[in-house]
Amino acid sequence: MVNPVSRREFLNLLAATGGIAAALRAGTALNLLPGSASAASLDLLNLGSNQRKIAILGGGISGLTAAFELSKQGYDCTVLEASHRCGGRVLTLRHGDLIDEIGNRQYCEFDDEPHMYFNAGAARIPSTHRNLLAYCKELNVELEVFINENKTSFVQDDNMLGGRPIRNIDYTTNMRGFMAELMAKAMNSDELDAPFTESEAETLLSMIRSFGDLNENDLYSGSFRAGYAEGGFLKHGVQKDMIAFRDLLKSRMGRQIMGANEGDTGPILMQPAGGMDQIIRGFLNHVGEQVKYRAMVTSVKVTDKGVNVAYDQDGVRHSLEVDYCFNCIPTHLMVGIDHNFPSDYVTAMKYVRRGEAYKAAFQAKHRFWEDLDIYGGISWSNTKSRQLWYPSHGIHKAKGIVLGAYDYSGGMYHTLMSQEERIEAHLADHEKIHPNFRELVEKPVTIGWHRMNHMLGCSARWSRNLGRGWTHEEETLYHTLQAPVNGRHYFIGDQISMHSAWQESAVMSAQWALSHMDAQVRAELA
Amino acid sequence: MLSFVPLDVRHKIWGLANRILLALAICHLTPFTSAAAEREPYDDRYCTTCHGTDGRGNEGIEAPRLAGMEDWYLRRQLKNFRAGIRGYHPMDTAGIAMRPMAKLTDDSIADIVAWVGSWDYQPAEITIEGDVQSGELLYGVCATCHGMDAKGNAAMGAPALAGQNDWYLVTQLSNFVVGYRGRHEDDRYGQQMAAMVGTLTDESAIRDVVVYINSLETR
Repeated sequence: MVNPVSRREFLNLLAATGGIAAALRAGTALNLLPGSASAASLDLLNLGSNQRKIAILGGGISGLTAAFELSKQGYDCTVLEASHRCGGRVLTLRHGDLIDEIGNRQYCEFDDEPHMYFNAGAARIPSTHRNLLAYCKELNVELEVFINENKTSFVQDDNMLGGRPIRNIDYTTNMRGFMAELMAKAMNSDELDAPFTESEAETLLSMIRSFGDLNENDLYSGSFRAGYAEGGFLKHGVQKDMIAFRDLLKSRMGRQIMGANEGDTGPILMQPAGGMDQIIRGFLNHVGEQVKYRAMVTSVKVTDKGVNVAYDQDGVRHSLEVDYCFNCIPTHLMVGIDHNFPSDYVTAMKYVRRGEAYKAAFQAKHRFWEDLDIYGGISWSNTKSRQLWYPSHGIHKAKGIVLGAYDYSGGMYHTLMSQEERIEAHLADHEKIHPNFRELVEKPVTIGWHRMNHMLGCSARWSRNLGRGWTHEEETLYHTLQAPVNGRHYFIGDQISMHSAWQESAVMSAQWALSHMDAQVRAELA
Repeated sequence: MLSFVPLDVRHKIWGLANRILLALAICHLTPFTSAAAEREPYDDRYCTTCHGTDGRGNEGIEAPRLAGMEDWYLRRQLKNFRAGIRGYHPMDTAGIAMRPMAKLTDDSIADIVAWVGSWDYQPAEITIEGDVQSGELLYGVCATCHGMDAKGNAAMGAPALAGQNDWYLVTQLSNFVVGYRGRHEDDRYGQQMAAMVGTLTDESAIRDVVVYINSLETR
């Protein structure tokens, strides 16, 4: 029943072991976890009677961070927001909300209930995003756990097992078993365990056996870890059949499945109870009166003494003279707004590409996933819709909202479609996982971030060096844009970070700019 | 005035007042669509998001200058985008990006054309270099329709070129040359233009002719 590992697989493993040895030599690199600087490091001077005026261009998370912090210290802030709402890509959709996608305006028709919402932009907060979490605490934003990886959810690939969806736990248990068998075989060969002492080799081998649930002969022959074919409580459980390694290897989805809880999604993830925009509401409880809505910036001119901002609101052009300006308008849109920025600045603004991420969601007529032992988490498929998210909240309620597509890199595939084509594509894709998906869902919403009014793009893309990191030139352009113009105008937002698409990046970019400005103000007042 | 009211309630009152004022302002100034009275209204005057302040163009998002564009030309192009006569070729990425933006009613198009006509016009920034003398020779063919001064000719359906963003002229000439624009069977004027670009045999010829257009007085 158990197939031996072939010679080719063994040779591949030899190469892989060389790779591990090389990685070990790299040493400390293994200690690097993506983390952010400690929270609450912001120590801004309270101005007292030395009031200064601030313009904040854009009411996204970075702009509101700036407004909140500066207002606390006695600054006179005005937030100019081009759209009808604050939050930017922190967008929670509920009953009646406008989805302002140009060419595809929609109103969200979900049932009007507190748990019936969809986070169409930011959706997850890792526990390591300390600065954002510190604001959640300060603003009394209640958090709950977000379930990201779920072993009872499905993995589906037309190339694997005739397209039959299998549970994530079947995929990962079998994959780990086979990988462990290969590794154990390698450890039992004299050449390969040579780099290790006897004690190290023994420790490693015991971990490998445990990793894959190998039998006494260091072979994988299936595992109860994948759950039972039957029984398990009042009767002894019956082990499920193994899935052949070769069958699993027909799919390349292990790249996502085996790494779902790594990197940014490795820490415990959270979401605000009631929707991600509770963070925005939290900020607006303090600075809401400072926001001007549907106010489109038309000009930003930096002078020796400050910044002159012009904006259109209600068909009238207004002007605003301030001491400092914090600007989170997407750089690709700022290029078209009158300004007097230096040319190296403009070069950097033009360099940044627009993100193309795309999301869709459906209202489920009942929580069909709970009937399948699924509570939260993600089903993965090798379709263009990619992901199906079951809500972490509203457990056992009548209905829920499922994410029906999340294409974070090649989002133009769906963005270029009509609304009807998009919906049909997601229905067809998810029928492969839930055969009657089409009948189970209703009231779809789709969000092509590339076309959302006043943003026209998802998170900024700095690196064009596909997967090979930033070039020296890109680093230079980035630092050019991070530095203030004449000490008066600061670009902020996750676009001014090396890790865009996270709220933490937006918060930290704002805090960096605030600290920089604070140092100048302290010097002036000294 | 409201100091006795708690902050969060004040914010709500403020928000409500703002929404009422805003709704009134929008009703008054711009056409809008609304599925239900309490729903957030929207309008189709979103052009400046991409096309920049007063429609002066935005190279960052490849959106050309609209200010100064003839009303008949703007109307025709919006309708072409709407019908898929323009922005149909997969390589015309900016054209494809424009197509959904032009999902407009005739009334919205009329409103936009009038709105564009109200914008302050300032000459476009010069961003490219080339051989102006070579460009002048090449421009001879163009002058037939677009005029010696590149100010356009409504009778011929040929828009003004002087004053347009030079990077946009380069992109469009290239598109006509390689067939990303002006090959659609219903694009009568586009076909006319595609037939005229034969003298622009390479990239430098395109740049030269645009540099010559740059040298002409704008308005």
